[in-house]
Amino acid sequence: MAAQKDPEHNEIKFLNQFSNFSTSQRVLEIGCGDGRLTWRYARSVGRVVGVEIARDDLRIARIDHPSDLTDKVVFANADSIHLPFAKETFDLAVLSWSL
Amino acid sequence: MVHALGEIRRVLVREAVLIDLRPLLEYAPVEIVSASETRLAGTADQLPDDRASDEAANRSIAKVEEQGWFTKEQEKFFPFNYYWDSPKEMQEHLEAEWSNSITVSEEVWRNIRSMWAVANADARVRIQLKMLITRWRRQE
Repeated sequence: MAAQKDPEHNEIKFLNQFSNFSTSQRVLEIGCGDGRLTWRYARSVGRVVGVEIARDDLRIARIDHPSDLTDKVVFANADSIHLPFAKETFDLAVLSWSL
Repeated sequence: MVHALGEIRRVLVREAVLIDLRPLLEYAPVEIVSASETRLAGTADQLPDDRASDEAANRSIAKVEEQGWFTKEQEKFFPFNYYWDSPKEMQEHLEAEWSNSITVSEEVWRNIRSMWAVANADARVRIQLKMLITRWRRQE
């Protein structure tokens, strides 16, 4: 069996406390990986763009994409040095294990 | 990293929040845990390249704070646990995923094996990472 990660859900608990998520927010997640964390908060915000440089992780994120989040979460293959977005596009950014 | 933080600032609206969520591997206990007990086998060692990467991240964030791009509002540490059903599974994970960041010494492996040999049936192996979460506010 693969590793079980954070079964205590500490990460999402603290992220919720620090982020004050709302359904009007446009969120940029940098280093979203396979979407492990994304799926845990996406229902609490307006829209999420997850960027990840590792194509294999992105492939898994796209495969695991929950059907109810199809219109809410999109992924992009990009790195944080060249973000393919216009200025002042997002209300919140999450550096997800990526600094 | 400073360039990346500048790019993130560019795509954020004014007064937006930036959350930095990352593991600090300076102290990562390796334990055998079951419902009735937790036994410490030792700690994993952070590799020099990973430590240098942490230090570079800290320098970058200090620089952007100094430049007034972001101001720190809140910071906390919390545990993030990884569990495996056996030492072998943990070893495979370390080799596949963490070979550039942490290592477990032979002494700690010996401890893990000897503790595992007499562990309860529900025992698992755990590595506890120390996580840092920081909330930054984008400035003008």
